[in-house]
Amino acid sequence: MGDIIDVIMSRKSIRRYKPDPIPDEMIDKILEAARWAPTGENYQPWRFIVIRDQETKDRIGRLAKLGSGSRMTAWYCLGEMQPRFEKIKDPEKRAEVLRFMYSGEVSEFARYAPVVIAVIGTLMEGSVDVPYDLSAAIENMLLEAHSLGLGACWVHGPVASTRDAKKFKEILKIPTGMGEYKVIAYVAIGWPKEQRKHPRPKLPLEDLVYWEEFGRKERPKYE
Amino acid sequence: MSNPNMNEMEYCNDVLVRLEELLFHELSGCAAWKVEFVGVDFIQSKDIQGDTPDEVIQNCIKEIKTAGFVEEMNYAISGEDVKLELTMKGCRHLPKEVKLRQDGIKPYICPLTNMVLDQLIEKLKFETTYVADLHIEENKGECRVWSAIYENEDKIGCVCNWHEE
Repeated sequence: MGDIIDVIMSRKSIRRYKPDPIPDEMIDKILEAARWAPTGENYQPWRFIVIRDQETKDRIGRLAKLGSGSRMTAWYCLGEMQPRFEKIKDPEKRAEVLRFMYSGEVSEFARYAPVVIAVIGTLMEGSVDVPYDLSAAIENMLLEAHSLGLGACWVHGPVASTRDAKKFKEILKIPTGMGEYKVIAYVAIGWPKEQRKHPRPKLPLEDLVYWEEFGRKERPKYE
Repeated sequence: MSNPNMNEMEYCNDVLVRLEELLFHELSGCAAWKVEFVGVDFIQSKDIQGDTPDEVIQNCIKEIKTAGFVEEMNYAISGEDVKLELTMKGCRHLPKEVKLRQDGIKPYICPLTNMVLDQLIEKLKFETTYVADLHIEENKGECRVWSAIYENEDKIGCVCNWHEE
């Protein structure tokens, strides 16, 4: 069995896509990868809606733009966003990046993706671990898309607020009852238009790992 | 109540604290984005009227005060008409916020603010709203909530320094 660490480590979120369509076989493989994710009690709560219709993608993109923009405008006004971008030295470039964020344009990209896959989970009686199962399925989708040479991005923001999640459900004709289906995210997929640069730096393992108990950083000898 | 040491409001606040703790534990900061409907049933049961934000907000405040949820409640709109400041004194949910903060969680649900924002959306068709900052001054018995209110899509991205407004 091959080690997939290279696939995992080279993946990054892709938000800009070429308009070229994605073959059905690739979409099927991405969905197949999702289907084989771990799931508590083998419940398999996930359901997927594959969206290629431009009007629907436009509506989702708009919802995403408004959702992110509404939060980020407030964060900017509170002064909470600016420190994150201080590393951009050119003031004009920094201002443009910030505007791109608080306008919500940063999250609009679903409308430009050839395929958007909504990931929803059934909350019917007996369901447990739904958000966790769905998250595992999404990670499988991202890795499979990446291994096929595609780019993808896991997007939660547009369904983060309860009111927006309801709007999202209405767009896709998903039952809107709070006890029926949970929309956790969608995955935008396409041929990467942006370069697959090296992933952003990650925290070193020694900052993340404890041994045997919380806070213990030194690795004990284990015979 | 059978327990003479706990009145109905205390019980309600204690229940809310436990639920808010749980939700925060599950979702971290994102919990605040999920709770916009908490409290709206009360205001939706009232026939709030108004053709402008001022009228709707004033009528919401009137109902909220009449119900005894708060002793004083005032508002101000500024910041390109995006910033809504609600100041409250003697809110009956204040003990909940204090308890949450003692547990190390920044308070994130203000049912009274949710009521006002809900009516801006329901009655005036505002595009969306966002509760941005909840500030508690327990010694004075006061709260101050800053929200972003977006009358339409064009209002998103209208920025300024809210601390100077």
